[in-house]
Amino acid sequence: MELVVVGGSAIEILTEGAYASGDLDVCHATKATLPVRERQEVMELLGAKGGPRIWQVAGMYLDLLGPAESFARTPFRRIEAPYGSFLVMKPEDLVVERVLMSYYLGVNQTARNCARILISVALRGEIAVDWDEVRRLANLPEYRNLPECVILVNEVANELEIKSPLHPD
Amino acid sequence: MNSKSKAPCIPIEGSISWEDWLKGRRARRESSQLVAPGVIRRKRSSSDRRLKKLFNGERGLPFTPTEKL
Repeated sequence: MELVVVGGSAIEILTEGAYASGDLDVCHATKATLPVRERQEVMELLGAKGGPRIWQVAGMYLDLLGPAESFARTPFRRIEAPYGSFLVMKPEDLVVERVLMSYYLGVNQTARNCARILISVALRGEIAVDWDEVRRLANLPEYRNLPECVILVNEVANELEIKSPLHPD
Repeated sequence: MNSKSKAPCIPIEGSISWEDWLKGRRARRESSQLVAPGVIRRKRSSSDRRLKKLFNGERGLPFTPTEKL
């Protein structure tokens, strides 16, 4: 079984953007379901308390959610940490999702800021992002927000004086 | 602004070492702050009760200042 960090914690790991709360959201990357007994065994190895979904471990909360939802064809990003490697949600999914959240049910400035920091770190080359994949995801029926993605990526690129990868030229 | 960063990149394929990930933290923070300055953590969420209980009234641990990254 392999876990993948998702949501705000994934954004924090990728950007250091001063966004995450004390919840670490993780999904499982390799199985369609994760039985309660198996969750318990894994979390016991970490000395966690609570469960079966929300655990307290290493001074914070860990939400063990279901299978990771991703539409991107790129791989999860992998970080070789001191006690073993772990996976992080794909920034291509995160950018398109946060752009959608930034306007979907009214203006959401926090989601917009999340999208902006992801785009900034990507444009400056600190995380590698497949922009063709961002374009493809934003065109999917699940998102249908390519114009909004293009506008925001262009906006951040202009502020940074970097050529936008979603610019038509 | 400008140019691309010289910090280690989190790659699409393969992995980034812990040392390189640490080395890039400050650069990533600075890139983030260029377009969304300050702490952008949500002010509230449905988890507030348990978070504030654990983190002395806050929603999480304080962020490491940029100069200490």
